[in-house]
Amino acid sequence: MSATKGFFTDTTLCIGCKACEVACKQWNQLPDDGFLFSGMSYDNTVHLGGSTWRHVAFIERPVPLSTQDGAFSWLFSSDVCKHCARAGCLESCPTGAIIRTEYDSVYVQPDICNGCGYCIVSCPFGVINRREEDGRAWKCTLCYDRLKEDVIPACAKACPTESIQFGDLPQLREHAKERVNQLHERGMQEAYLYGASAEDQPGTEGLNAFFLLVDRPEVYNLPPDPVVPTKKVKSAWLSAGATAAGMILAAVGAVLFGGRRT
Amino acid sequence: MNPVVRYAQSVDPISTDGRDIDTEVGTLAGEGARQEVSGSADKHLEHELQPWRQLPMPKAEDPAYYNVPMLNEPVWEWAIPAYYYIGGLTGAALVMGAAAQIGRESGREKLIRRCRWIGCVGTGVSGCLLVYDLGRPSRFLNMLRVFRPTSVMNMGAWILSATSGSAFLAMVLSHPGSRIGKLCGYLAGIFGAGLATYTGVLTGNTAVPVWQASRKLMPVLFGTSAMSSVGALFELTVENAEERRLTKIFGTAGQVAELVSAIAMEKRAGAVPRVARPLKKGFSGFLWRTAMVLTAAGLALGLMPRPSKRRRLAAGLTGTLGSALMRASVEHMGVASARDARASFQQQRAGYGAAEVTRS
Repeated sequence: MSATKGFFTDTTLCIGCKACEVACKQWNQLPDDGFLFSGMSYDNTVHLGGSTWRHVAFIERPVPLSTQDGAFSWLFSSDVCKHCARAGCLESCPTGAIIRTEYDSVYVQPDICNGCGYCIVSCPFGVINRREEDGRAWKCTLCYDRLKEDVIPACAKACPTESIQFGDLPQLREHAKERVNQLHERGMQEAYLYGASAEDQPGTEGLNAFFLLVDRPEVYNLPPDPVVPTKKVKSAWLSAGATAAGMILAAVGAVLFGGRRT
Repeated sequence: MNPVVRYAQSVDPISTDGRDIDTEVGTLAGEGARQEVSGSADKHLEHELQPWRQLPMPKAEDPAYYNVPMLNEPVWEWAIPAYYYIGGLTGAALVMGAAAQIGRESGREKLIRRCRWIGCVGTGVSGCLLVYDLGRPSRFLNMLRVFRPTSVMNMGAWILSATSGSAFLAMVLSHPGSRIGKLCGYLAGIFGAGLATYTGVLTGNTAVPVWQASRKLMPVLFGTSAMSSVGALFELTVENAEERRLTKIFGTAGQVAELVSAIAMEKRAGAVPRVARPLKKGFSGFLWRTAMVLTAAGLALGLMPRPSKRRRLAAGLTGTLGSALMRASVEHMGVASARDARASFQQQRAGYGAAEVTRS
């Protein structure tokens, strides 16, 4: 039995080289998603999607980091599927195509997925998506094929600054806490962990791929308080049940008290 | 042959799909190697790119990432709102048909038969619409390879199958005095009530802000709108006044409740104004408003004293359009809402994210 594996992405170490994006595309033999010019700093990848499983965000801020002088700071962050402890995509998948692997990662089986599209709206992070021509949902596999061979995922392997760290989740969490303390000691008070544990992010019960950020999550296009939709679904089912009962009552009422009979 | 020359001959950088793999030396065996693309850009990226007059920077009080969406938008197209309407109509008709079986059936045989007929055709059409919308239609049966209560869509697939099966059996065994036929009719009614309402749970159980905020009222809206579509369809297509008598009561009740739940839903989503924006602005807001006006018009026309045939047909038509446009509006508001990252951010900052369920 394997331990829970995950990523710790320390955005303070990211230099925006996009080696992770390239390594991911190359190893997984993913097609391009169009050569579009966004005009958004150095980010022409724009968003995670069906054939983009790593995305480096470039944030140009009109304020410096607390350890810097000047009136500007440039933040980089390599975004990826979070492999949530409670995954919206997995819970909503009607075919059982999305499974939890022995590494506790969330994996889409391409031979099962029928492309219903429900996982796409169920992901609170906007990770999983469908390419129109292919018709199936795709996302980061945590390099399942590499893990099977005891090799670390391509993005972590390619990262030149150890901004992307791969390993056993408990150790990663320990290390991440030390890193935050270290940064605080150096005066970067704004550093914090995003989704490192169930207490940090009760809506997802913790992310297997968590982050160290230095600004609010929104700045990185991450939700501030994400929730797996199924945590709220009970009230919707109760409402549906009550409505169904109301419909039946209305119909029975119409029949019993609907006036004259012939 | 020189590998550089061979690469240049086997991989055309203009028409390549981006993999750039010389298959004479490399094998396509990666996790994403079987992903089929045409070589054109990902459709979902294109609308995210907009020409900037001024590069947006994260604002101190209201940050976002270049105003690009945070979520991926729903990929469902016209077939899904069409299914919401037809599935709802079918379910509510089966409820009506089942209720009409109660007690002595004399005088209601035609209504029962018609409802079962709507049940068979409607569930068949629903199934076709759902299969059509799949990315891989040939794999539609995979929907039934598991029974997974956490997946509303999986539950829906089972509900639709059960409704379809029981409606079909009720139709086949509809000769007078058939107790099994009657039992199947009742079952079809119960499953039909589920079919008409679960779609509201389906949209509510998503990360799309306006859908999630409406999760308690969407099933009510869909169920009541299903009732009004039955009433409207009968007004429109059934000549016999006696047959329309019960569906008119059923449909009118549905229309009143539909309007009330739509107003309640607007109010509820409006707790965070940005979340309710697709209900008020844009194409989805236009559809939403039009649907409400049409439903109200159908209700008013139906309640006018001294009914005439022309007025009845007008009531049926406006009612039908109102119900159908309401479903289209729900679909469009989901897309608009998913494109608006700040709707999610403000919703969650206002305490309607995980805090709603995890705060104790």
